[in-house]
Amino acid sequence: MIIRSSDQVPRTSLFKRFPIPRNFGVTRESRIGRGRTWPAPRGATRIRTFEIYRYDPDSGENPRFEAFEVDLDDCGPMVLDALIWIKNKVDSTLTFRRSCREGICGSCAMNIDGTNWLACTRFISDLATPATIYPLANLRIIKDLVPDLTHLFAQYTAIEPWLKSKTPEPERERLQSPKERSKVDGYYECILCFCCTSGCPSHWWNGDRFFGPAVLLQAWRWLTDSRDEGKEERLDNLEDPFRLYRCHTILNCTRTCPKGLNPGKAIAEIKKMMIERRS
Amino acid sequence: MPSPTTTRPRPLSPNVQIYRPQLTSVLSILNRITGILLSACAVVLVVWLVAAARGPQTYAPVQAAIASRIGRIVLFGATFAFFLHLCGGIRHLVWDTVHGFELRSIYISGWTVVAASVVLAVAAWVASASIGG
Amino acid sequence: MDPQNMQNMRSPLARAIGLGSAKEGVGAWWAERVSAVALLPLTLWFTASIIAHTCSDYATLIVWLRTPLAAILMMLLLIALFYHTALGLQVVIEDYVHSATKFAAVIAVRLGCCALATAGVVAILRIALSG
Repeated sequence: MIIRSSDQVPRTSLFKRFPIPRNFGVTRESRIGRGRTWPAPRGATRIRTFEIYRYDPDSGENPRFEAFEVDLDDCGPMVLDALIWIKNKVDSTLTFRRSCREGICGSCAMNIDGTNWLACTRFISDLATPATIYPLANLRIIKDLVPDLTHLFAQYTAIEPWLKSKTPEPERERLQSPKERSKVDGYYECILCFCCTSGCPSHWWNGDRFFGPAVLLQAWRWLTDSRDEGKEERLDNLEDPFRLYRCHTILNCTRTCPKGLNPGKAIAEIKKMMIERRS
Repeated sequence: MPSPTTTRPRPLSPNVQIYRPQLTSVLSILNRITGILLSACAVVLVVWLVAAARGPQTYAPVQAAIASRIGRIVLFGATFAFFLHLCGGIRHLVWDTVHGFELRSIYISGWTVVAASVVLAVAAWVASASIGG
Repeated sequence: MDPQNMQNMRSPLARAIGLGSAKEGVGAWWAERVSAVALLPLTLWFTASIIAHTCSDYATLIVWLRTPLAAILMMLLLIALFYHTALGLQVVIEDYVHSATKFAAVIAVRLGCCALATAGVVAILRIALSG
C-alpha cells in the first residue's frame, strides 16, 4: 500500500487498467489484433506465458498480441533474458532495443505489466501470469517493441543541455564546492530511457508541446548547476503554459523511474525558481 | 527504405488503454473530476443566492429541490467531492513548496487524503443530521 | 497528438521548438495557488455555516446573510471561487481541446465565471442592503 521506492512492483490494484473501452480513442492503424500462440518446447516444466505486442511494418497489417510460453529453466531471471531466449529459440524476428543488460544504458525501456521499466532490471518472478509486454506508451512504433524516440530527443535538444558561460573561460577548472556539486545529485544520473515521459498522461495529451518529465529533469539539472551562467535564458525558454505548466503533479514519473530519480520534484523546483525570479 | 509518410503511418503504442492505474494518477484525475463537479456546484450556489435575493416565493422551490431525496444525494456527493478536492488541494499546495516528494511521502499523503475526505464528509453529514434531526 | 504529421517536413527540432516559449505562465499558476489559499478558510467557513443552518427557514437565512461578516465572507468566497474555477477550467480545456474551439471555450468559461460571480455578488448586496 505504501510504496517506498520505485522498484517495488505494484502488487494490489483494484484495476489493472482504467475502466475504459480497450480501443478507446485508438486510430485505425493502431488497433491491436490477436496473434498466434507460441507453445513451450517439449519437456519444459517451469513455464511462464508472455503476451507481447508485435508490429511488422513490412506486412501492412495492424499490430497484434502474441503469446510466448517461455521455459524459465532455460533462461536468466530478468525480462530481457526472456526476450533474448524467445529471439534465440522461438521467433528470431522479435525486435527490441538492448545493450548493457545492467540498467544503465536505458535501451530496453518498455511497458511491463502496465508500468514502464527497464526489461533488464525487472525480475520475471515479479510479473503477473500471463505477463504483458507493450512498448513504451504513446510513441510511434517502428517495429515490435522499438518506439520512435526522435521527438523526445528533439525536445531534449530544445532545452540546450550544455554548459552556458558568459564569463571568459578559467585557466583551469570551473570551481564548484562539494555542496554546490551535491545540488546536481539525483538529476545527473538520468539515463534518458524516457520511462517517465512515456508514462505521463499530460505528455500523452500534449506531448507535441509539453516537454515532459525527462527533459524537464535535465533542464533542472542545468538550472541547478552552479557553473552554468545561462539561468535567465533557460528560465525564459521554459516559462510557457505548455512547455512547463502542463505538469499537474500527477507523479506517474517519480513512481516509474527505473533509476529511482524524482522528476516530479525537479519540476516543482523549476516552478519554485520561476516564482522566485519575479517576487 | 520507404518512409512512413509515404506508406502507412506508424501505429501509436497504447497509453491510457493499458497503463496501470496507480495512486498517483488516480488521485490526480479524481482531483480534476471533483474540481469540474465543484464548478457545477458553484453555478448552483449562485442560483441559490439569486433565488434567496428575489424573495421567499422564488426561494421555496429551490430549497425544496435541494431538500428532496435526489437533491440530498447530490448534495452528499458534492460534499464528498468538495472534501476530496480540498484535501487534494492542500496536498498540491504542500508540493508547491517542494516538500513531500519522496515516494513514501507521496503514498502516505495520498492515502491520508482519501481517508480524511471520507471522514470529513461523513462528519459533516453527521453534524448536519444532529442539528437538523 | 500527432507528431508524425503527414505533410509536415519540418525537422524534429523545429517541431519540438514549435512557436517558441511564450515567456509567461507563472502569473496564472501563481493566481491559482493564491486563490486556492484564499478558498481554504472561506469554503470551510461556508460549509460550517451551511451545516449550522441545516433546518433554518428563509427568514433566519436572510438575517444571517444580512450580518456584515456573512455578507463580506460570502462575497469574498464568490470572487475567489470563480477566479479559481475560471483558471482551473481553462487549464482543463487547454489539456483536452486542441482545435480552434479551444479559444471559444476558454472565452466562454472566463466570461461565464465573471457573469456568475457578478450575479452572486449583486444578490448578496441586495439581501444585505435591503430592509
